[in-house]
Amino acid sequence: MTAKTEGRIRLTVLGGYLGSGKTTWLRHQLHEGKFRNAYVIVNEAAETPVDDALLGQSTRLSVLAGGCVCCTAKADLIALLRSLCDERSRGLSDDPRLEQIVLETSGLADPGPIVEAIKADPVLVYHIVVSEVVVAVDALHALSQLTTEPLGRRQIEVADRLIITKADVAEEGAVKALLATLRTLNPLAVISGASKGVEVPLPSFDGIAPVALPDLANQPARPPIAPARLYIDDSIDWTAFTVWLSALLHARGDDIVRVKGVVRTPAGRLLLQTVRKVVQSPEILPEQGDTREDNMIVVIGRGYTPDQLKRSLKYFAGR
Amino acid sequence: MCSACGFPAAPGHWTEAGSPTPHDRVRAKFRRAQVLQNVLPAYGLKAFDGGVIPGIQISTLSGSETIVRDLDEVWALAEKLSGGPVDPLDPRFIGDDDGKD
Repeated sequence: MTAKTEGRIRLTVLGGYLGSGKTTWLRHQLHEGKFRNAYVIVNEAAETPVDDALLGQSTRLSVLAGGCVCCTAKADLIALLRSLCDERSRGLSDDPRLEQIVLETSGLADPGPIVEAIKADPVLVYHIVVSEVVVAVDALHALSQLTTEPLGRRQIEVADRLIITKADVAEEGAVKALLATLRTLNPLAVISGASKGVEVPLPSFDGIAPVALPDLANQPARPPIAPARLYIDDSIDWTAFTVWLSALLHARGDDIVRVKGVVRTPAGRLLLQTVRKVVQSPEILPEQGDTREDNMIVVIGRGYTPDQLKRSLKYFAGR
Repeated sequence: MCSACGFPAAPGHWTEAGSPTPHDRVRAKFRRAQVLQNVLPAYGLKAFDGGVIPGIQISTLSGSETIVRDLDEVWALAEKLSGGPVDPLDPRFIGDDDGKD
């Protein structure tokens, strides 16, 4: 594909469902020197960006927060891409000539409309060629997402390459069933496995029957998944917050698909991330960097309002 | 293995990440029991943590008592004993009746 770029910028679109491991995979690729000199664009549906803190490796990085680039923030993405093309054509930047862009979409994005928008733009079509759509697939949660979320299916259907993340922690039988199911959804994509970004071998799935996916078109619509912002003020301590969050995930883990944010604690700034009921060990972040969004937690899910979350948390903390 | 309770040492629960020193950990244990006491009595349960043993003591109104390791086990036990999960978005915690979707 690179041979046909005709001097245009190659764009890699990195998609995948919420918490599927997009940033982790990208961080490792950057660490290994892949996407060298690439410009990285990170999109987050919520207004509180977290992923950019993880991608410190990349020298050239922009964050598009507060809207998903496949729908509400599409105009922002087009404007940013146009300005990058403009700078490159004029030779304004001292950096090496831009040859590659990596766009990490939000977990709620459908990569299809993004690719369509770039192809439909009269300027971008001459400057940017979409070289690859990479979609991260969570080996632990993808099968349940695929049975309930049409978005998860659309993401997989448009992929050129599927990265099975967390492949090492999922059961082998489940991974095989997932692989066979992915094959029926997207027969052409290259499938590989990864664990924290490092490539791992996948089991062979010859002769394994794919999981029959229900027809989602005829099902009653569930409320859409939406991001809510929750500010942890000084009256809420880390312990009260963890008691509340662990109860919330236990009771509502199927509806709260993702919680992300940086929380200030006596141990320092902790990066908190959950995917459904699974909480990752919080990572201690350095004190430097942008700390303005500290204590702002993003809860992505359905079935509640931000105000209800706040009142519930206050009740738990006894404030 | 803890000689008081017999629990083997487990890798730290994620909730412990905010307590860097032993003092902080003991303080967090007391605070955790206090927060649980804001919630569990509504389900007919009591939480107690004397700070001495690693677990959390959960008792029912009839006086039967059990020790659990961490918060995940607290919520699983509460669900089992009261017949449903402790839902933080229950109207009784958020002070209105439209908490359920």
